[in-house]
Amino acid sequence: MSGADALAGAIQVIGGIVLAPLLPGLVQTVKACLQGRRGPSPLQPYRELRRLWSKSAVDPEGTTMIYRLAPAVVVACMVAALLLLPIGGRSPGWPVGHDALVLVGLLALARFALAVSSWDTGSGFSLMGTSRDLTIGVSVEGLLLFVVLLVTLPLGSTDLRSLSDAGAGTTVWSMPAHWLAAAAFALVVIAETGRQPVDNPDTHLELTMIHEGPLLEYAGRDLAFLQWAAAVRHWVVLVLALELFAPHPASFALRLAILAAGLPILCALLAVVESWQAKMRLLRVPRLIGVGAGLCLLGLITWLIGGRL
Amino acid sequence: MLAIIAVTGAGLIGAGGVVCAWRRLLVWGLALQGVGLAVTGAAGLSSLLGGSAAGSAFVPGASLEFGVDPLTGFFLFALALSGVPAIVFATAYVPGSRGARAIGMLTAAFLLALVGVLTARTTMAFLTFWELMTLLPAGAILVGRQDVHARRSVFEYLAITHLGGAGVWVSLLLLNSLGALGSPDAILGIGAGLHAFVALAAVVGFGTKAGLMPFHSWLPRAHPLAPSHFSALMSGMMIKVALYGLIRMLFEWLGPAPMWLALVLLVLGTLSSLGGVIYALLQHELKRLLAFHSIENIGIIVLGLGASLLFQDLGQPTWAALAFAAALLHVLNHAVFKGLLFLGAGSIDRAVHGLELDRLGGLLRRMPWTGGAFLVGSMAIAGLPPLNGFVSEWLTLQALVHGVTGTGRGVAGPGIGEAASFGPAILSALAAAGLAMTAALAVFCFTKVVGLVLLGPPRRPACATAREVPRPMVAGTTILAVLCVGLGLVPGLLLPHLAGLAPGGAQAAGLFSSAGVSVFSWGLGVPMAGTGGLPTLGLGLLVAVFVVVAVLLRGKRRAAPAPVWACGQRVEAPLLWTSAGFTKPLRLVLEAVLRPQRSSELDEIDGVPQRLTYRGSVPHLFDTLLYRPVVRWSLKAASRARRLQSGSLRAYVAYLLALVIVAFVAAWFWGVR
Repeated sequence: MSGADALAGAIQVIGGIVLAPLLPGLVQTVKACLQGRRGPSPLQPYRELRRLWSKSAVDPEGTTMIYRLAPAVVVACMVAALLLLPIGGRSPGWPVGHDALVLVGLLALARFALAVSSWDTGSGFSLMGTSRDLTIGVSVEGLLLFVVLLVTLPLGSTDLRSLSDAGAGTTVWSMPAHWLAAAAFALVVIAETGRQPVDNPDTHLELTMIHEGPLLEYAGRDLAFLQWAAAVRHWVVLVLALELFAPHPASFALRLAILAAGLPILCALLAVVESWQAKMRLLRVPRLIGVGAGLCLLGLITWLIGGRL
Repeated sequence: MLAIIAVTGAGLIGAGGVVCAWRRLLVWGLALQGVGLAVTGAAGLSSLLGGSAAGSAFVPGASLEFGVDPLTGFFLFALALSGVPAIVFATAYVPGSRGARAIGMLTAAFLLALVGVLTARTTMAFLTFWELMTLLPAGAILVGRQDVHARRSVFEYLAITHLGGAGVWVSLLLLNSLGALGSPDAILGIGAGLHAFVALAAVVGFGTKAGLMPFHSWLPRAHPLAPSHFSALMSGMMIKVALYGLIRMLFEWLGPAPMWLALVLLVLGTLSSLGGVIYALLQHELKRLLAFHSIENIGIIVLGLGASLLFQDLGQPTWAALAFAAALLHVLNHAVFKGLLFLGAGSIDRAVHGLELDRLGGLLRRMPWTGGAFLVGSMAIAGLPPLNGFVSEWLTLQALVHGVTGTGRGVAGPGIGEAASFGPAILSALAAAGLAMTAALAVFCFTKVVGLVLLGPPRRPACATAREVPRPMVAGTTILAVLCVGLGLVPGLLLPHLAGLAPGGAQAAGLFSSAGVSVFSWGLGVPMAGTGGLPTLGLGLLVAVFVVVAVLLRGKRRAAPAPVWACGQRVEAPLLWTSAGFTKPLRLVLEAVLRPQRSSELDEIDGVPQRLTYRGSVPHLFDTLLYRPVVRWSLKAASRARRLQSGSLRAYVAYLLALVIVAFVAAWFWGVR
């Protein structure tokens, strides 16, 4: 294990765990700026977490072990996802592998745990959110696979490290497939982070909740876990976006710099999209994702006919 | 030695069946069957691991010959792995059910038929046991239930499997007459047209029995009706035995398959996996839902097989062997978790009588063992890490993804955008996306199942007072749950052997070692060139450790009990979510495809609503659009044909006379030539 690997490992763990809540905070700050008001500081999520950590939990009547265990499972999946995701194309070789499709599986496990917990409460609002989340998840997972497929084309491996390395040259950028995959992945980012136009993270109306729905009954440290996990989800997809689609040199230090600069930029972009787009009708979301799938198919065709820019 | 063990096993199963004839010895008879099955499975496993064969090789002809080779061995092993727990379950389940002795004996006969098909080495033996395998479940269903609905379903089961199953007869008899059974050289001379015909007949024939869409219509009718351990055997192994036939045919007897055949399998596999899971989501009865999931999983296996054929055509034996191994691993995994789920459904049915999803609930607390095992099975079938379903689905997905990247160039050649073949690449890509969506839909579906069956408030008095089922039934489901975890953590122990079963697999295995990249070098995981690797054991343990750490970190829990938030109302029965409600967003999204039907009637008196009747259903489109017209036409044709049977003796004499005249004319005509 070289020094660079160790550094990457440290950023994976420490950066993911500590810095992740900064990302939704940044989005909120930029959004407030764009709307011409003085919003909360980017550190607000940390304050929220601290507040929640000191509060007691709530157990809805009739819940079982599942309800109490679900936040821990979600957190475990997210930490495993953090270890799986290389930083700057490097990782110290955690025993989780680095496969893109395993990452998809871990996210699915987290989703399942949360969904089952909302069945455990039997709460109508939680289940409404869950059922919507899962519906959207179906098309998002299909699209995500398409994106993985397209980025796999140049090197023929689904190893996230080599996928990330593939972006180091200029060759992939001469492929329309890569551009189209990037566009499609933007949709995945929006859907997975639960941002407008797919979901409104600021809503306080139970009837409109999607990602927030299953969190409704939780309180205290359980809720802190889940909110932290939501922030890590931001971290995972945004870092993945930069690793796969940010043009970068081969040097590790420069790639870290690009990562450091890229994350705030992507957060700002999310804020711009949130301010500019209204929330979409739920049933139209799969169609939006379908557009992404269409882009991917187009990308595949361009690759097959040997298209270069 | 192998032969002796296998024959002993089969003999014990048979003896167990005979013992079942005495009511008092019923449990012992079933136990004996279990031991016999375990012995047979051990023989199969030793053949698989040792690569040894015993008994006869495949020979054409009408004699009855039997034998074991590694592929048969694998299927025997899978049969034992899912069958023995099912028999353990049955020792407590059968004595309390209707027609217990008959069901005990039929179980033995059915097991023997399955073993018979797997070990048959002549066309005659294969077809004999094949027919028995189809007929015996029908007998078991009719012993257990005798209502009109069951009889009708059994008739439809037999009709569809026999019509479709004709393909098996046609393809096997043709191969037999060509002398190509067991001698691959003979197949090369038969010409592309005949080759294609045999292949298609095999796909239709074996596909029907396997429940491959669009030939699946019998499966959701027949499986839910059978006694639960029979359902477990049917869904777990019977439909896999049909795939065994397909594998023999396409990978062994028919030699190198043309590209279009691989594409046909990819299309059918995608249709089955997506269609199966979507219709499963819309079911409201547990066993019927599980039956539709069998269709989905057969689709996934067929996707693996299709990918394997594709790689063979692309000249990539390594990936062909891996895709083949993925398919076989999913055969085993599905046998285990679907067996578990059907047995769990049987336990739940025994405990609360009735499997209507909207009328269960809260069973995890009342039946912790059965419920816990059922939860594990649900997670496995939903393809969630670190359980076994995830491993095989991951491998299949990898195969499909590399089917796209591999089209048109070798694994080693890293060129960008080289000319590639269009159809296979696009089809593989669509199949891969379809499989990913299938996995997400399965998560959706089993969230619903777990929620409605195990969690939430009991929706029926019987569920509130349900009691854990007898120990053997608990043991059956628990063993399978442990297997789900075990196969999920250490698939690497089995995978190299499965890859070796593929045609040219041994050569592929050599390829791994000579290239210095041992595909399964970790033994316990699946580190594979071209992927980021799936260290199953590491991943599973790490996630478990993190869960423990998170729980410890949370510290001693201070929790205030509170009612569930429903805007201040009490959550009462009418406010609870139903199966239909939970899946409604998806139904709306897919409305254009599924065409759900609904009607509502409002009874009013003087403008005051008194009663609202709502009826909604999602028709099974394959039934309404495909099967029903066929049935109508055949009934119409039959009523036309019935006019021939006038019952008048003179008419029959006239038919005879006409036949004789025609025969004379024909003889004269050809005689002159």
